[in-house]
Amino acid sequence: MNKKDIDLSIDFCGVKFKNPFLLSSSPVSNSAEMVARSFEAGWAGVAFKTLNSDTTPIIHPSPRMNGIQYGNKKLVGLQNAEMISDRPLKENLADFLYLKKKYPDHVLISSIMGFSNDEWAYLAKVSEDNGADMLELNFSCPHMSVEGAGHHVGKAFDLIEKFTATVKRAVSIPVMAKMTPNITDMTEPALYAKRGGADAIAAINTVLGISQIDLNQFTPKPNVFGLGTISGTSGPAIKPIGLRFISEMAKCKELALPLSGMGGIETWVDALEYILLGASTLQVTTGIIHYGYDIVEDLIEGLTDFMVEKKITKIEDLVGRALTNLTTTDKFDLKRQGRAEYNLDKCVGCGQCYTVCKDAGGFALDWDGDKRQPVLDKDKCLSCMICSFVCPICDIISYKEMPDTWKRQDAVVMGKDLEDQLNFQPFKQPI
Amino acid sequence: MSKQYDFSRALAEADRCLLCHDAPCSKGCPANTDPGKFIKKFKMQNIKGAIRTIKENNILGGACGVLCPTARLCEKECSASHLDRPIKIGKIQEFLVRHGREINFKVFEKPEVTGKKVAIIGSGPAGISCGAALARKGYQVTIFEKMEEPGGVLRYGVPSYRFGKDSLKKELKDVTDLGVEFKCSHPIQEKGEVQDLLSKGFQAVFIATGLWDAADLFDKKPAGVYNSVDFLSSPHTIQSDLIKDQVAGKKVAVIGGGSVAMDCAGFAQTLGAQDVYLIYRRSFNQMPAEPDEKIESLENNIHFLILNQPKDYITDDTGKITGIKLARTQLAKAKKDQRRVPVEVKDSQWSLDIDIVVEAIGNKAFEDSGKIYPGVDLDAKKLIKASLEDCRTSQEGIFAGGDIVRGPSLVVNAVQDGKTAANTIDSYLKQRKA
Ligand SMILES: Cc1cc2nc3c(=O)[nH]c(=O)nc-3n(C[C@H](O)[C@H](O)[C@H](O)COP(=O)(O)OP(=O)(O)OC[C@H]3O[C@@H](n4cnc5c(N)ncnc54)[C@H](O)[C@@H]3O)c2cc1C
Ligand SMILES: Cc1cc2nc3c(=O)[nH]c(=O)nc-3n(C[C@H](O)[C@H](O)[C@H](O)COP(=O)(O)O)c2cc1C
Ligand code: SF4
Repeated sequence: MNKKDIDLSIDFCGVKFKNPFLLSSSPVSNSAEMVARSFEAGWAGVAFKTLNSDTTPIIHPSPRMNGIQYGNKKLVGLQNAEMISDRPLKENLADFLYLKKKYPDHVLISSIMGFSNDEWAYLAKVSEDNGADMLELNFSCPHMSVEGAGHHVGKAFDLIEKFTATVKRAVSIPVMAKMTPNITDMTEPALYAKRGGADAIAAINTVLGISQIDLNQFTPKPNVFGLGTISGTSGPAIKPIGLRFISEMAKCKELALPLSGMGGIETWVDALEYILLGASTLQVTTGIIHYGYDIVEDLIEGLTDFMVEKKITKIEDLVGRALTNLTTTDKFDLKRQGRAEYNLDKCVGCGQCYTVCKDAGGFALDWDGDKRQPVLDKDKCLSCMICSFVCPICDIISYKEMPDTWKRQDAVVMGKDLEDQLNFQPFKQPI
Repeated sequence: MSKQYDFSRALAEADRCLLCHDAPCSKGCPANTDPGKFIKKFKMQNIKGAIRTIKENNILGGACGVLCPTARLCEKECSASHLDRPIKIGKIQEFLVRHGREINFKVFEKPEVTGKKVAIIGSGPAGISCGAALARKGYQVTIFEKMEEPGGVLRYGVPSYRFGKDSLKKELKDVTDLGVEFKCSHPIQEKGEVQDLLSKGFQAVFIATGLWDAADLFDKKPAGVYNSVDFLSSPHTIQSDLIKDQVAGKKVAVIGGGSVAMDCAGFAQTLGAQDVYLIYRRSFNQMPAEPDEKIESLENNIHFLILNQPKDYITDDTGKITGIKLARTQLAKAKKDQRRVPVEVKDSQWSLDIDIVVEAIGNKAFEDSGKIYPGVDLDAKKLIKASLEDCRTSQEGIFAGGDIVRGPSLVVNAVQDGKTAANTIDSYLKQRKA
């Protein structure tokens, strides 16, 4: 099998995408001039920056974002307090026409947000009338401060159903509901959207948070002339949250809608993880904010090479493949236990493993100061594996399953001598 | 030699890359390698893509990662230099190519043979690169090599401690996997034999024979005096044990200041020489070897005798070398833009006790090298006259590149010539067909 045999195209709500990679609704999809460049780079479609109907003036705060840095790593997350599109509707729609004319094979998804039932219907209709192939209902923007809009809707489930139904009545193109992660369970609002007639669910929008505080002005960032706000976090830092919500919705039999996954996708591996947990299209913003449109080349090439290696020719055959192995902790086989295995050939003697094992693990490591090497007391290892997370070298620390005859040593009890002074009765369940 | 990168080191180094727009490194490679691209791919976990980017452009990407003087090529313009130091592009490149083999990743599929037969003379970097490029275009390629094994300087010149023969073997396998046929121990030596190939079914010939004659310092060459070609190739010849015995525990003098001299000195050391002297008549800065090679040699305890002019060899009554007469030199005043020349210091002669001498003062074309391709225009140094734009020689159907055209040059330049020649040959043959 080779690259030519791989088909990255996917059918999503009856719409054909030449590959699963789309721009998500955000500054990266703000205008046709930009989107056109992204199409040239290889993106299959776009969820255009959320339209507004010019009834409410949109002005973005300045500045409106803050990068989250970890050590020297830039943009492990991004904070933003941006509004929906600040462009006049007419200009956005003219851009739609341009894109559909120039790129008929690329998918144009119109992201919309209304402030009333009629406005939802209006925006849906003008989108369809001006070339949109699909709609994405933005029930999730965390910064729109108007009641009855953005994530306020996303948290008022009956409104989700109502607005979705309104939109569905207004148009015939497929409709996707974009959900906020700032709730405990996403399947419930997703089911409301389904009842309203949604054809698919998109998730996640940004996660509410505070990324950093300006220590001189005591102001959360972005520092908008002395004031900050709780706002949307995106990027690699939120990938675990996105994967969680996507997988829960994919597992929900009652929902059974196609999913468009997003949140922290930068590489083909991130994308594949979303696919394996049930997403069949993927959207990206922060990855593009960090690296530009060109990352799609790596998304495509990386995913294709993976599929060649696994001899899987179609994306569909990957969608949800990890879901059967995703379960709850009560299903784990707890009789099977293991421990860390050390191969010190390449050890450079930094001793980070020793520090973390001592202070956060099973104190299973001793330190040979002459050799500058850890010495593992195998029977004390908890298999927490934190040592392997801090080790700077690949392949030194691995996980090894132990035979069922193996028994882990209990943690030392320092108060052994003091047991006679214990003030304690074992808990008994009251009958 | 600095340590090879493992995965985490390579990634850590790649992480330092600033992912420049319009990456300057990507303009610094004579063979059009695109480090900006392959490092970005690596960072984006598209590792196979990164390896593909390297190898599709340069079949000897692994060798170049080790052997290229990156400090004056890709790494020269690296934007990270303005922060502290350039990204170690060569080392990342070498890692990626090696990693590709570890994960069993095949960049190339065996191409279907659709085209005509092309002959290549010489299996050095130029010949290999041309052969691989032509095979990928569907041509049937035969490389004639006079030595027992393919590789040219990579096998018979560069010492193993710098570029392991195992790495060479693996990189050559990519070439044979493409269907390129190596005919080793098959010198092209008869008068006009190159032209004859054209009448023996080959539609075009690429000459990439390199430079294998060594310049001599004096007319006489007493026992114990070797030239760099014989010395460096000795591990692969019958002289292997002889030279090893002669060098181990002995005092060795290497004459010359270029990269080849550095290799000879380093190689003498690996054979267990007691002391290795490097004799050069100009200044340290004037030595043509790469700055890092010079520093490494100094650090490896090679004794640099700069500003010393060899005058004569001293021999014992059996005719074996026992020493060198040297004279100290001084640099004369600079004349216009010219290099300052060394002038002998009066009455400064002295002699150095020595057991073995290696002359490394330059490789050149054999005097009679043109015999096999009469009618191909040569210059005064017997180098083939060919344009680097297209590798065409004065004779139709005959192309040339690498050191036999450029004079002593670099692996990466030879690779580029091979690619250029392949493109020219392809369009030449397509045109002829039409
Ligand atoms: C000791 C040494 C160290 C070097 N180190 C470096 C380095 O670190 N980095 C770098 O970039 N460059 C280095 N170079 C330069 C580099 O190796 C050359 O520029 C490069 O090898 C030229 O490639 P080529 O294919 O033109 O010729 P070669 O590598 O010389 O290959 C020519 C081949 O043709 C064969 N041949 C010759 N005549 C015939 C014939 N009549 N019939 C059949 N076969 C024939 C030869 O046996 C040889 O295998 C070094 C050179 C030397 C000598
Ligand atoms: C600056 C910025 C502006 C955004 N604007 C919108 C928007 O107008 N409409 C919308 O549906 N989502 C918007 N989003 C959310 C993204 O579309 C996406 O859901 C989220 O950022 C998670 O994906 P990511 O980690 O790839 O960025 C915005 C995100 C950012 C960073
Ligand atoms: S990215 Fe461009 S638009 Fe944004 S602040 Fe910088 S210069 Fe201005």
